[in-house]
Amino acid sequence: MDHSPSAVRAHYAARAVVLLAFAVYIADLARRDALIYYLTPSLASWVKLCSLPMALMALFLLLQTAGARREALCGCEHRLPATPLRSALLYGWFALPLLLGFLLPDRALGSAAAARKGIELSYAGAADVHLSGDKEGNGRLPFTSLADRLEGQDEIVVEPALYSETVSALQLYSDRFEGNTVVITGFMHRDPLRPADNAFAVGRFLVHCCTADALPLGFPVYSETPISLPPDTWIEIKGRLELAPGGEGQTIRLRAESVKALTPPSNPYIYAAT
Amino acid sequence: MTVIKLKLLPLLPVIALMAAVVLGPALGPGLTGSVTLQMFKTSFIGLLLEALPFVLVGALLSSLLQVFVSDETIARFLPRNPVAAIAVSCLLGLIFPVCECGMIPLVRRLIQKGMPVHSAVVFILAGPVLNPLVFGATLTAFAGHPEFAYARMLLAFAVAFLTGLALWMTVRQSPLRLSFTSRRQAGVVHRLRGGRMASLFVHASDDFFEMGKYLLAGCLLTSAVQTFIAREALLAAGGQPLGSYLFMMGFAFVLSLCSTSDAFIAATFTHTFPAGSLLAFMVLGPMLDFKNALMLLALFKTRFALFLFFLIFALVFLGAVLSSLWLH
Repeated sequence: MDHSPSAVRAHYAARAVVLLAFAVYIADLARRDALIYYLTPSLASWVKLCSLPMALMALFLLLQTAGARREALCGCEHRLPATPLRSALLYGWFALPLLLGFLLPDRALGSAAAARKGIELSYAGAADVHLSGDKEGNGRLPFTSLADRLEGQDEIVVEPALYSETVSALQLYSDRFEGNTVVITGFMHRDPLRPADNAFAVGRFLVHCCTADALPLGFPVYSETPISLPPDTWIEIKGRLELAPGGEGQTIRLRAESVKALTPPSNPYIYAAT
Repeated sequence: MTVIKLKLLPLLPVIALMAAVVLGPALGPGLTGSVTLQMFKTSFIGLLLEALPFVLVGALLSSLLQVFVSDETIARFLPRNPVAAIAVSCLLGLIFPVCECGMIPLVRRLIQKGMPVHSAVVFILAGPVLNPLVFGATLTAFAGHPEFAYARMLLAFAVAFLTGLALWMTVRQSPLRLSFTSRRQAGVVHRLRGGRMASLFVHASDDFFEMGKYLLAGCLLTSAVQTFIAREALLAAGGQPLGSYLFMMGFAFVLSLCSTSDAFIAATFTHTFPAGSLLAFMVLGPMLDFKNALMLLALFKTRFALFLFFLIFALVFLGAVLSSLWLH
């Protein structure tokens, strides 16, 4: 398929615009620290680098449109779209994610997304594919050393860096931690099927490599005084660990002593510790 | 009048894009809309960005090969013994990591330069999977579970090798469509401004747009499935012992994803589908999908192509089911 030099030039120009737009989009996300809404921090650092080759590709494409001699440009082997309609479809197709990206704001996944995906209340059971687990491979249960460390503490604070591991340890060895005080933060999540002012969950999204596969995890909380904070409020719960009545096996929950609303952190996601 | 208007059509997305870049921050907050749209957008952009580095590296590498390595070099590498040639062809992807999208024209040129069909087909099958880039992507997508990456490589090797053997034993005449052998040799000289550097980046952009459109479709479809289809339906499909395999293989066929990015798509289904079906997805996808099938049908005679499709499908299915015994 041989295209006229001006058609080839037009294609090169359109491609340069698309590539440049991608480069600008990624650079802008990086500048605003907004990549965490889509990727884990480690992947984000690789994606940030993508702006450079894309900008270079755009640059060399533009170079062809500006200066190349008329007879040197050929469309062969470049597999360019044959008709204007096809060209519109191709570049419109590439414009789609960019339009979504530039027009819609960046939003963290919250309670509604958790309800849609189905929140997991049992960390260890649900997240076993993601959790790398304790490094002790000698047949012992995972997180034993972490559990030992936690047992010694007066007040167990669930830190974001070891969030899912800490909660898993608490769930797996719940008999050792019954009655302990735990401090945990996350978004307020209510069961859409059984909304109640006394029972809710503290939710967090565990991200593995990109937020598309983020797993919503929830820690059940019971409060004697009804709490009417709306879902998605960022809360800090301080309470005592107790074994939940009913249900199969040992499910734990926190009996809330204090519920505080906080400003959400810049990065609300948790990641598996490597 | 209509002719002029049609020609301006391609300008529309470009203008819309530039408008979005400029006006986005002002218009954005008003367009927040539903949670589902937000979820869809987050998922779509996330998947796309995640796969982007791999697609770019694939495009640049493929372009490097096209610009700096001559086809004769590849053909000279092969040993005489057919079985050895098949085995070596399986591993060619380790030194020539080319995405499946760039494969078909490359292999066409190789066959014309004398590479035996069984080796060429094996290269088409194994090349897109058995290379360090795809291995790395699979490791990243299934972080903490390297067995997925190893199983993928092993299964791909087995399927490609067995297919090659089957072809060597059964195929007697050249399966190439006549129209291909008589086509003008594609030894075009490009005099692009900027010399070889320009060639490198311009060809890379070709590959990027070629592969990118399928990647976009894959991310779009996957995000739609993840966002709009009720989890129960997915769980039901994933719960079928063998049906889940067929579903995942069908999904891989339809999505036509690049082998560097399909691992990320597969990983999003870790909770709903069994490990073996994800493996089938990751091995069938690069070897046989809608786009590849069309290209293979264009390259080879129909009967041969259909025989090939059957071989690949059956071997991947059996292999994945068998590996699931060991994988989980």
